Amino acid sequence: MSGDPQQAAAARRGWLLSAPALLLLAVGATGPLAIMLVYSFLEPGDYGNVEWALSFEAWFNVILNRDIFDGTLSFADAHLSIFWRSAKLALLTTLFAFVVGFPTAWFIATRNAGARTALLFLITIPFWTNLLIRTFAINQIIRNEGFLNTFLLWIGAIDQPIVMLYTDFAVFLGMTYVYLPLMVLPLFAAIDRFDMALLQAGYDLYASRWQILRHVIVPVVKPGIIAGSILVFIPALGAYVTPRILGGGRNMMIGNFIELQFGQGRNWPLGAALSVVLLVLVSAALIVYTRFATGGDKPHG
Amino acid sequence: MSDENAVEARAARKIYGQGAGAVTALDGVSLLIRKGEFFTLLGPSGCGKTTLLKLIAGFESPTEGQILLDGTDITYDPPNRRPVNTVFQSYALFPHLTVADNIGFGLRMQGRPKREVADTVARMLALVRLEAMADRKPGQLSGGQQQRVALARALAPSPKVLLLDEPLSALDLQLRKEMQVELKRLQVETGITFVFVTHDQEEALTMSDRIGVMQAGRLLQVGDPRAIYTRPANRFVASFIGESNFLTGTRDGDTLALGAGPRLTATAMDGAPASGPVTAAIRPEQVRIVQGGGEGIPATVVRSVYFGTDTHAVVALTDGTEITVRMQSPASGDAGLAPGQEVRLTFEPGALIVLPEVA
Ligand SMILES: Nc1ncnc2c1ncn2[C@@H]1O[C@H](COP(=O)(O)OP(=O)(O)OP(=O)(O)O)[C@@H](O)[C@H]1O
Ligand SMILES: [Mg+2]
Repeated sequence: MSGDPQQAAAARRGWLLSAPALLLLAVGATGPLAIMLVYSFLEPGDYGNVEWALSFEAWFNVILNRDIFDGTLSFADAHLSIFWRSAKLALLTTLFAFVVGFPTAWFIATRNAGARTALLFLITIPFWTNLLIRTFAINQIIRNEGFLNTFLLWIGAIDQPIVMLYTDFAVFLGMTYVYLPLMVLPLFAAIDRFDMALLQAGYDLYASRWQILRHVIVPVVKPGIIAGSILVFIPALGAYVTPRILGGGRNMMIGNFIELQFGQGRNWPLGAALSVVLLVLVSAALIVYTRFATGGDKPHG
Repeated sequence: MSDENAVEARAARKIYGQGAGAVTALDGVSLLIRKGEFFTLLGPSGCGKTTLLKLIAGFESPTEGQILLDGTDITYDPPNRRPVNTVFQSYALFPHLTVADNIGFGLRMQGRPKREVADTVARMLALVRLEAMADRKPGQLSGGQQQRVALARALAPSPKVLLLDEPLSALDLQLRKEMQVELKRLQVETGITFVFVTHDQEEALTMSDRIGVMQAGRLLQVGDPRAIYTRPANRFVASFIGESNFLTGTRDGDTLALGAGPRLTATAMDGAPASGPVTAAIRPEQVRIVQGGGEGIPATVVRSVYFGTDTHAVVALTDGTEITVRMQSPASGDAGLAPGQEVRLTFEPGALIVLPEVA
């Protein structure tokens, strides 16, 4: 190939042709990040924006509080609890989306061609409406005077409405609902490629149904599980709309907290620092997760 | 009696589906497979071979009838509780496991100690000569190697019976011949009862201790390869395994009269009608052509085709019945048979057999 000047020229032309797209991608991916990183080391302006003066205050404030009067430092419990809630809710959402999504994907993948197309179509229907609308729909269902409580009151199962709206549970429920398709679709793709003869082979070789699930199905469709979990976990961790509408003002997640800094808080550097923290958290979680997930199938282990 | 039989099927019927769409895949099959034998199920596509294996493996249960293993009724035992393993046509190797872990899978699921699993896997790898491939994934193996892994995986737990559903059909001719030898060797070395499915009659004849010929959900004949070939139970078996010439005539004792034409000496199979119209069969290679007068049945050459080792000639008897004759080609390659030439046919006593069915 190297000896063929025509091919080499063609390869060069290929690079040149994709150069604008690559440039755009590079700038688009790193530009905003770089801006956030720079902002996090500046001082907040009085009415938002930043003052161009080097400061580590924002990074301090991510985890520490400086008392306004005597300047003593203490842990920023509120921030930590927001991080913790975000991580917890994102994990729970991922886990639950998997628990619900796996049987769903399995069911769809094992139907005949016609039913399968129809079911996949149904799965994608929620994407047709705005996220806000879908989240408000959940709101309508679980609020005190919502469908669920009204129904339960009506059949006499409860005599006080159950408070669900503006709780962590509401956020979890909403996120599971919103992100479920992102789990189902990659799982479906993986299960669709799964050779059903492997089930017979496993069953023939003395595996119980549970052992087949654990030793055959899960390891073989693992790429789908990994992809689905990542697709759910990342947006869940940084979710903004769902916790805003279903969690109310108090049950904030990182996304809402960052927004607060850029809005009412008028502390852009802190918002920027928090964004970088979120990015680092996600990257760390991804690295740990993929390591764990791809290294975890040692049958002798 | 039961301790000589590895597998027994008693009047096994299998009907798939219900109502108008129901398919009778097995129509009352009774079968005894002896311990340690290489038993082959042979039959055309759709005759129910795979279904019979599934009943033995436990993937399907019979609509009626029973399946016994070592004299014990296992009709409704699930596959994971039967000491029976299968080599699947598609191999169905676990893609995420190495060759060694594939082979050890059954033993691990049975909860055997690690030491034992490792020893058995090593023994199996040596048996199928794949020691060097132990750490590869199935995707990195050739078709023949995958085949051997599938065999080793099914043999590792030392099943009482090994079921093989057309295991060689995906291989090319060369590899297929090698694997035939290999399979036979493995069966002899392990002493495990093999139930082998094929629709290749040559494969069945060369490998099996006994053959069961199936057609349309029924077991037509069971016997050793020679018996099946030389004493086919009916017209289907006679034509499915090797080729046969069929003659219809009237039986009278040891003679078969072809219309007003020649009277031939024929051996009758059990159950053949003692007199009246019958069908008789003779193999093309059992007929000899005599040129230049003498003893024999008069016939006329219709055509002759040169096949290298063999020459096939079609001759017509006086009543018009055409007979195919297969003979070794002479050194010159020219059998000297011209269309229209008058010849005589001879065959050894016992070559022409009267089938147990009315013409
Ligand atoms: N799951 C099923 N549902 C309905 N009909 C079936 C099913 N499995 C097999 N059959 C039918 O039962 C009959 C026997 O099938 P079987 O697979 O046993 O044939 P076979 O002898 O193995 O054929 P081949 O040589 O093509 O593999 C066929 O007519 C087939 O269409
Ligand atoms: Mg079959």
